[in-house]
Amino acid sequence: MTTLVISESSDEAPSALSLEVDENGQLFVVENAADDPPVPVRLRQCFPWSEPHRHLSLRDASDREIALVDDPAELDDSSRAAVERALGIAGFVLEVTRVVEIDEEVEIRQWLVETASGSRSFQTHLDEWPRVLPGGELLIRDVAGDLYKLGAPQTLDRKTRDLLWAFVDL
Amino acid sequence: MDQEIITRYIGQPARLPRELRARIEHACSGNSIQLYALADLDHTLRLGESWLALTAAHVALARRDDGGEWRVRAIDRAQIRALQETPGLSAHTLSLLGEPGDPPLLVVRYTHRQRGAFENIRFVLDEAVNGRSVIDDLGASRRAAEPPSSRAAEQPSTRAPDAADRVYAAAVARPIRDAQALVAGGGRQSSVIFRLLRYLLPYRRELALGLAAAAVITLLSLAPPYIAGFLIDRVVRPAQDGALARGTAAHMAWIAIAGMAALYLVRQLAAHIRLRYMAVLGEYVARDLRAELYEHIQRLSLSFFSRKKTGSLITRVTADTDRLWEFIAFGVVDVSLSLVMLVGLGGVLLTLDWRLGLIMTLPVPLLCWLIYWHGESLNTSFIRAWRKWSRVTDVLSDTIPGIRVVKAFNQEQREIERFGERNEDVTEQFNEVHRKWTTFWPLLMLAVHTTTVLVWAMAVPRLLGHGAALSAGVFVSFLLYTTMFVAPIEVIGQMARTINRATSSAHRVFEVLDSEPEVRDVAEPVRLEPVQGRVSFDNVTFAYDGVRQILRGITFDVVPGELIGLVGPSGGGKSTVVNLIARFYDPTGGAVRIDGADLRHVDTGHYREQIGMVLQDPYLFHGTVLENISYAMPQAASGAVIAAAKAANAHDFICKLAQGYDTVVGERGHTLSGGERQRISIARAVLHDPRILILDEATSSVDTETERQIQEALDRLIAGRTVFAIAHRLSTLRRASRLFVIEKGRLAESGTHQQLLAVDGGIYRRLYELQLQLV
Repeated sequence: MTTLVISESSDEAPSALSLEVDENGQLFVVENAADDPPVPVRLRQCFPWSEPHRHLSLRDASDREIALVDDPAELDDSSRAAVERALGIAGFVLEVTRVVEIDEEVEIRQWLVETASGSRSFQTHLDEWPRVLPGGELLIRDVAGDLYKLGAPQTLDRKTRDLLWAFVDL
Repeated sequence: MDQEIITRYIGQPARLPRELRARIEHACSGNSIQLYALADLDHTLRLGESWLALTAAHVALARRDDGGEWRVRAIDRAQIRALQETPGLSAHTLSLLGEPGDPPLLVVRYTHRQRGAFENIRFVLDEAVNGRSVIDDLGASRRAAEPPSSRAAEQPSTRAPDAADRVYAAAVARPIRDAQALVAGGGRQSSVIFRLLRYLLPYRRELALGLAAAAVITLLSLAPPYIAGFLIDRVVRPAQDGALARGTAAHMAWIAIAGMAALYLVRQLAAHIRLRYMAVLGEYVARDLRAELYEHIQRLSLSFFSRKKTGSLITRVTADTDRLWEFIAFGVVDVSLSLVMLVGLGGVLLTLDWRLGLIMTLPVPLLCWLIYWHGESLNTSFIRAWRKWSRVTDVLSDTIPGIRVVKAFNQEQREIERFGERNEDVTEQFNEVHRKWTTFWPLLMLAVHTTTVLVWAMAVPRLLGHGAALSAGVFVSFLLYTTMFVAPIEVIGQMARTINRATSSAHRVFEVLDSEPEVRDVAEPVRLEPVQGRVSFDNVTFAYDGVRQILRGITFDVVPGELIGLVGPSGGGKSTVVNLIARFYDPTGGAVRIDGADLRHVDTGHYREQIGMVLQDPYLFHGTVLENISYAMPQAASGAVIAAAKAANAHDFICKLAQGYDTVVGERGHTLSGGERQRISIARAVLHDPRILILDEATSSVDTETERQIQEALDRLIAGRTVFAIAHRLSTLRRASRLFVIEKGRLAESGTHQQLLAVDGGIYRRLYELQLQLV
């Protein structure tokens, strides 16, 4: 697998990609010419669930793709580290470690969970069911659009599994 | 209400803490905070609490330091050169950028939940960076969007902070408010039930009769077992023992039997009265709710319909009111009388024989709890079954409408297998539900029968003369009373569920009734008789959410009879302009004037009678062609309808329909092509004879020949009226008196076709040339 750099002119040969990241997690593409300032880019995962660490689209401020990284392993060490740091932010979802309570109210379901980032309560539509991801993990989307990822059912504690029984096939 | 939602559901501050607000304002040279948002992720992506606040001259970020103390950092807004929002799956990053090459001035991270509040700040800062100020309009926008009562209650000194609180709360609570049926007063179950019961007040007489009849049924139900005991102890046994003369015994027995017959007769009469009155009463209440609901829905503004799904509103008027009928007709009485019956039975049993009475009554709370527990457990299984059922319907709703794609890609077998697997799965789940209840109820009845056996076991020795005396008659009465225990226990066990279901429906109904129309007439509105057709926009701004402006200071003056073409890129604000002309919304800044009168002071109903609309996707109601054309003028003469249809180039194809103008069209009716439906909608507008006509992409979705026919019809329709026409095909607007180019909410260019083509680098010229290249 190669790292493809898409440049404005399709006739131009793909070139090596050099990336850096600042302390705030902002990713930059460093152009070949030394005088060119680094171009800030945002990272989008093409397959956030099935192949989260591969096929990464780098997009400029106008949301135009300027590079597609098929496999970060092919990047140099510092670029790869920069991608991994940016990936940590772009691919961040709240990782649920324990479900504490699930209550049903009029037209919404109220969840109280513990996440790796702290405790959180959120709401889902009554007809919104957890989605089973390719790796067997579960993904829940709340009414605001936030995503909550749970480990595969067998990795969860007994109470969480009991609470989830109605919502997923355990 | 938004602050209540945040406190109750979200678990984050419902507003910026007062003390922190004061500190931020102090750090910002004493300027009031205009907007703020909570950043709920820190730099390590842990959940936390930082606040970004905006004042007239500063942006401030408040974060806690390691000791938990708030640290406020304010930066001058003049330093901001650009803003950059980087969206992630759940974490968004907003960076305020200074000079190119310099590190960001501020960086904050937050989840989707906070995005609305940050969008507001970003919008205002973006506008400022681009040399446009919106904060003054923003204050006006928010005030215009608020109900008059809250505006009147505001004190000048507190207006700005309160407005910032409201904008923040509205942005954070909005997803929940849109998802849930929320009602006034916090929606406590008891208050919702009492509010529902108030609908019974107009039917006090029927309610009193129904309740009295139900009370009679309950009381009379207690009599037959007592009579049975009396007959055995006072008539049968004395007669058998020779203590009572056979003739006297027979006489007494017949009186008792006749009394029992009379009791049953009266009981069934009372049952008839109860069922009749309560069923009818429930129907009246459901009718009243439906009527009030539908009338209210008709008065609500378009913004409400954009928040709620059509299917959900239809369900509220139909299924929810039906469920409330069931609750009022039977639930209210069943629950209250079951309580009375259970207490009464317990009292009677304990009075008859306290020892046996205790055996029967002590398990009752446990039995009620078991039924409740079973209901909850079954509910969980039903949720699981419902989820699996939705997987089945997903396949159906995917593949039936998409059957051509399935066949084109030869995927029939795969879809059959997908459906089969899910069908098996849901069947298994429903069978599990059946296993649960078919196990539970026999076991419950076994428990009831066990208590009966216990009663026998305790009673038999006493009947045979051991222990405390017990007569055969009392025992028979007792046994008969015990058979009456099961039904009220069952009702009470399911009481929570019955009330929950009714409350849910009541919530959905009351939510609609509690929604206020955003467009309302003033106390003494002006009637424009007739509308001349002069339309003026005076520095009009508009924001659907009160903050992000879709229109930004649009000013124009259109004289009666002008044909105005509205052109420009999608999302620029063209449809919003015509929505304001039709007064579907009120502007948040400036004024829309019709014949010089501010549209907010005009009688809306009377005004709308004089405007007409032809939309891109014309809607035909279920009914005949005649009814559809004469929708706004049901009394129109047939000749006028035909004339309108001819003007709309529709008469010819209507006559070719088998039933002519009497052909039923619309949903479930005769299928018409897009062009035919469009011409019927034009005929509707012709007949309506509006002074102001709005054409919203009226010819965009038809073929060239149909477009020619529609264009011909439109040319006849627009004569002598003020017309606003939105069109992407610029060639259709060549005859326009003037063209308004709307881009990014502003009137970017205006003039005739030729004038605008002459503008070097003009937007219209660019759009026109692009379209020529595509031809």
